[in-house]
Amino acid sequence: MNCALEGNCIKAFGKAIHALSRIGDELWFDPTVKGLALRSVNSSETAYACFSFSPMFFHNYSLASDQATKPIRCKLPMKSLLPLFRTSITNERNVERCQISVDNPNDRVMVQFFCRHGITKTHNLCYQESSPLQAVFDSHFCPNVLKGPARLLANMVMHFQRSQEEVTLSISPLRVSLRNFSEGRNEHVKMYTEMSLHPDEFDFFQSGGDSAITFCLRELKALLSFAESLSLMISLQFGAAGKPLCLSVEDTVLEATVVLASLNDYDSRGPPLPTKTLEPTMSRCTDATARDNLSSERADMEVVPSSQGSPTGPPESLLLLYNSKHLQVSTADVTSSSPASSMICSLLFRASSSERDDENCAASVLACDSEVEEDEDPGGIAELSSPQI
Amino acid sequence: MPLLTHSQDDDEQYVLVASLDNAEVFQEFTITEDQVGLQINLTVLQDCLSIFGGSTVPGGMSTTLRLCYKGYGYPLTLFLEEGGVVTVCKIQTQEPEEPIDFEFCCTNVTNKVILLSESLKEAFSELDMTSEVLQIIMSPNQPYFRLSTFGNAGSAHYDYPKDSDMMELFHCTTRQSNRYRMALLTPSTKALALSCKVSVRMDSRGVLSLQYMVRNDDGQICFVEYYCCPDEEVNDDD
Repeated sequence: MNCALEGNCIKAFGKAIHALSRIGDELWFDPTVKGLALRSVNSSETAYACFSFSPMFFHNYSLASDQATKPIRCKLPMKSLLPLFRTSITNERNVERCQISVDNPNDRVMVQFFCRHGITKTHNLCYQESSPLQAVFDSHFCPNVLKGPARLLANMVMHFQRSQEEVTLSISPLRVSLRNFSEGRNEHVKMYTEMSLHPDEFDFFQSGGDSAITFCLRELKALLSFAESLSLMISLQFGAAGKPLCLSVEDTVLEATVVLASLNDYDSRGPPLPTKTLEPTMSRCTDATARDNLSSERADMEVVPSSQGSPTGPPESLLLLYNSKHLQVSTADVTSSSPASSMICSLLFRASSSERDDENCAASVLACDSEVEEDEDPGGIAELSSPQI
Repeated sequence: MPLLTHSQDDDEQYVLVASLDNAEVFQEFTITEDQVGLQINLTVLQDCLSIFGGSTVPGGMSTTLRLCYKGYGYPLTLFLEEGGVVTVCKIQTQEPEEPIDFEFCCTNVTNKVILLSESLKEAFSELDMTSEVLQIIMSPNQPYFRLSTFGNAGSAHYDYPKDSDMMELFHCTTRQSNRYRMALLTPSTKALALSCKVSVRMDSRGVLSLQYMVRNDDGQICFVEYYCCPDEEVNDDD
């Protein structure tokens, strides 16, 4: 794969990497004919981001390699790539052109900057070959949809303290509100903040009734910061508590999607003040250990039986608890070491492998209805119909 | 009046010379002998010079310094004055050690470039510090002048073409590639930060000479010279 970026696109690309670095520690690099996709997932697999750049985004983009082999799909440590795209470096006054290539004879991802004064900076980064990361989430079925300029939401979130980890987004046909969320562990909530907006403030508003979801603010801010810098619109799609929240930003040449797990809050319509204690409680944003009293919540868990025949009930690892007829669950490639609690809903991310694992192929994970088309895709990625994650 | 400091360990050798070649830098300069040599502790000198806080805010109060030395056996006396307050520092002197002579002479120089510091400052601020060495290639052909690092993430190369407008002088006769320990080079970045131009020279043995031209507030020029031996472990042409 070989591509070149010029001018403002270098800055936008850098901002995408910044946003991805706030999600996870590794960057999945996936060049395809449809463009270049950069993905990341956090360690607890509760946040996933994908930034896709169409070939039109680039000054030139080609997948052809000398050996005519398949394009290399890999992952890189975020700390290798992030320093290269510091704002001071990608400033258009400094950099005239950026060239990125994989499949080169050096066996590295090469990022080259052609700067002013004729100076050339070449970085050859070590990578690890890896199947692409993919989250399966169909936002079409979300009853609640909000669309507006990123600035609108940015103005809402700026009022929360920087240390605020989680927020609750509530929606009703009459209003949208965002409030800080505090689990029982904080006995004294120092400050309670709530921002409300009238539906008319949004460019598009759809409410499927009253609902509220709680999710991590950090990843929302990461995407907002990206969207705001490019003055783009952002859309939020979500359902009831416990279902994932899908954030997306779109432009003619790029698309960014962030999918966040949300807290399975039994009292989603509770009083505005977060005085109740959720049991068992733990932050989704950090790796958590399972609690003993899961059994009481078992009835409320939406667990899809594991294809490997392991018993339903408290999952041994962080599993998908999102009930959808389109999805099957397998613990096959889940590498997270943190068992889930029933209070936690998360997304299962499984790198779809190009070589099917025979033992698991009978119940390929994260396959949606379009799985039948997977055979045509040599990469073996379970593609969603929409959005283009 | 060269002021010399050096570090000498078995495999860590560099010399940093701050030289105030221009007597006009001083408002007053009197010397009774041809050459006076003394040795003092650098940290103590630094502490004394910044006794008034060491603020470098321009337009703020400036400190005046008077250096006096009566001769062998006497301490080096510093009179520092700022805003009417005078501080007297007397620093114990030591027997001057024989400084390492890198025997770097102009006739032995194979490659030389002069760069505007601005571009080198940028490069040094971006250098991958996980790399143990900095490789410098100077060549009459591509890549002309290259700084390379080999860190945990991979390798990085900064290339300066010979016709760059940051390159004031380019005079390379043979291709040379040498690696220098990063830890030895980082002290020189302070001088780089103050300088407006840098001359980079390599002699036939690969010893590196960096000369930083520093212009002070009055427009006076002084030089800081830095010498560093190549890393002996790996010294192959790449």
